[in-house]
Amino acid sequence: MTVTGPTHRNTGFVRSLRYAPAILIGRGVRVLARWRKPGGGSAIPGVVVNRIAPGFLTTTLNGFPLGLVIVTGSSGKSTTTKMLVAVLRAHGLAVFTNQSTANISQGLTSALLERVSLSGRITGDVAVLEMDEGHGAFIAASLTPRVVALTNVMVDQIDRFHDSEMVAALLAKIAARAADTVVINADDRYLADLGDALEPTVPVARYGVSAEVLAQYPRGLGYAETASTRLPPGTGMQLTRVLGRDADVEFDSVAHSIRLPARGIHYAVDALTALSTAQATLGQHFDPARACAALSAMPAVFGRGEVVTVGGKTIEFVLVQNPSSFQLNVDSLESGTEQILVIIGSDVRDPSYFWPVDTSGLGHVLIASGLKAHDIALQLAYDNVTVDRIEPDVPTALDAFLALPDPASGVKTIIFSADGMRRTRAHLGLVSNAGES
Amino acid sequence: MTVTSLQRPFTVVSLLPRLLDTNGDAGNARVLAQRIRWSGHDAQVVDVHSRADLPEHVDAVSIGSGTDAALVPARDALRTLVEDLRVWSNSGVPILAVGTGWELLSWGIDLADGTVLEGLGLVAGQAVPRATRATDDIIVASKYGRLIGFENHARDYVGAEASPLGRVVYGTGNGDRTSGPRIEGLTMGEVFCTHLHGPVLARNPALADHLLRAVFTRHGLEYLRGTAAESVDETAQAARNQVAVRVGHSPE
Ligand SMILES: [Zn+2]
Repeated sequence: MTVTGPTHRNTGFVRSLRYAPAILIGRGVRVLARWRKPGGGSAIPGVVVNRIAPGFLTTTLNGFPLGLVIVTGSSGKSTTTKMLVAVLRAHGLAVFTNQSTANISQGLTSALLERVSLSGRITGDVAVLEMDEGHGAFIAASLTPRVVALTNVMVDQIDRFHDSEMVAALLAKIAARAADTVVINADDRYLADLGDALEPTVPVARYGVSAEVLAQYPRGLGYAETASTRLPPGTGMQLTRVLGRDADVEFDSVAHSIRLPARGIHYAVDALTALSTAQATLGQHFDPARACAALSAMPAVFGRGEVVTVGGKTIEFVLVQNPSSFQLNVDSLESGTEQILVIIGSDVRDPSYFWPVDTSGLGHVLIASGLKAHDIALQLAYDNVTVDRIEPDVPTALDAFLALPDPASGVKTIIFSADGMRRTRAHLGLVSNAGES
Repeated sequence: MTVTSLQRPFTVVSLLPRLLDTNGDAGNARVLAQRIRWSGHDAQVVDVHSRADLPEHVDAVSIGSGTDAALVPARDALRTLVEDLRVWSNSGVPILAVGTGWELLSWGIDLADGTVLEGLGLVAGQAVPRATRATDDIIVASKYGRLIGFENHARDYVGAEASPLGRVVYGTGNGDRTSGPRIEGLTMGEVFCTHLHGPVLARNPALADHLLRAVFTRHGLEYLRGTAAESVDETAQAARNQVAVRVGHSPE
């Protein structure tokens, strides 16, 4: 298939062997790094190549025939990127993508080294990169993305000492690099403003939820500020229904049903972002039915509403990465869930981090665990949630929780921070999803 | 006849929780109301975004901390309440102000760009930029026991030396001083200002109960900590001890 856009007429292909020495050295270092520490050291070759051939990364990234797509914003980047990649692959494209946002330029260079020929040419039609707004704004100046997708502005991420204006300014810097389209979440007031400001120079594709969907979440969707109006019908992709793992997305006044990889409004919005971005990337070749089928076929996401069976017991894992996801998860908890274990670990450095969350909906927690067990138990107590036991040791808490007979209603539910998830995974011997970040 | 309770719920006002709740400090209103309930009385939290939201009776006031982007709108909104704040503080209604909420009650805030944001002038002193942001656990020795919390601020506070909340045992507090004891916070009557953000009253129930005694005394009532609070306060003690031990101090 051919998709043309203004910026990818082969201009970026590296036609010389300019980078061959650097690539060979990088590969050699990669082998050594793996040999010294199996599975580790993946960023080291990138450090080496970036030092000896600083243009390698940007030249290669700008060289994909269908261009570069950047997904950025405060939260939802990781899931959105995975969804977008699945949709593009379902359209027959070979997609280059990154696994994590840490050390973006070094990690990317290392990843590219595995795929690049000595002429500097990469096998692949399109690159889809997830970027943290800070690192993204830093490296974007040297990149020429075709499409930039913006998820949201939230101030309560782990790195939350940025204020909303600062985050929005970083995102604007990345968006300004887009040659074809900027895809924005029209429900996020900061992004809506950003889109309005861009409009004369770059086409903007907007997506959003319907008024009915928003009304299901009286506390909002976690954005720093929710835009006062919803997207007018016909002006962009709209999420018109969410119920459990099922959602309806309307585009060009046709409703399509999708099955989400996990329960929760944030997954539905991530799917909407991915679909909208796929449409911007593929243009007339975008096939809604194919896209929705690809999304619905994605495996359930570990630790985010995934249901697993351990020793014959069914458990639902709920990962809370920030106050918004904690709140949304509390609000969308199946009613009547009677066995809940909460594990908050050392990753929550400041106990006030989760205090903006109203946890009263949990009702009754059997065990509070993790290094911050006492802090979360304190918050639960003030929210009128009964806490039966405080057990900071995670393995002890897990064993006690799993030993309980199956609940009469709901499934055993474990709500954990990222550190709690790691400890749970380790103790129960569960394998992690590749590329979890 | 002895009065044993009010004929209405005790009312805790949470001022500007949309603008001033970055660290969940608006939750301190919830802590006060919950402890009143645990002591056997009715209590409610009223969120006040503008003067129109003010309830008829106000028994305690909580002002949280916000981002710098919210400084001007929060100051402008607080200005419309300045007379009410004055009346409350003069009549012994306890007020807890945290972080930027405190700074806005001061004479003013010296911003990093050299401009000054005028405050409400209700408490002495002013906020001044510091070289590096103070982000860490903080331990304060005070009249209300050893207070333990978390601080995160880009400004020092000068001019509170006459009536601090306590002495810094670990952390930064009002700022680095070349001489004299390092201090944290400010008190003026029943107005308490502090850098300890988030659930300061939940983690330090002795301070919460001091505020509640002031609430009850105004109505000729005696505040007695409820039994439900006992185990919760043990949890708070454990959380405080964990921080103390981690930074090299003894548990209590
Ligand atoms: Zn960042």
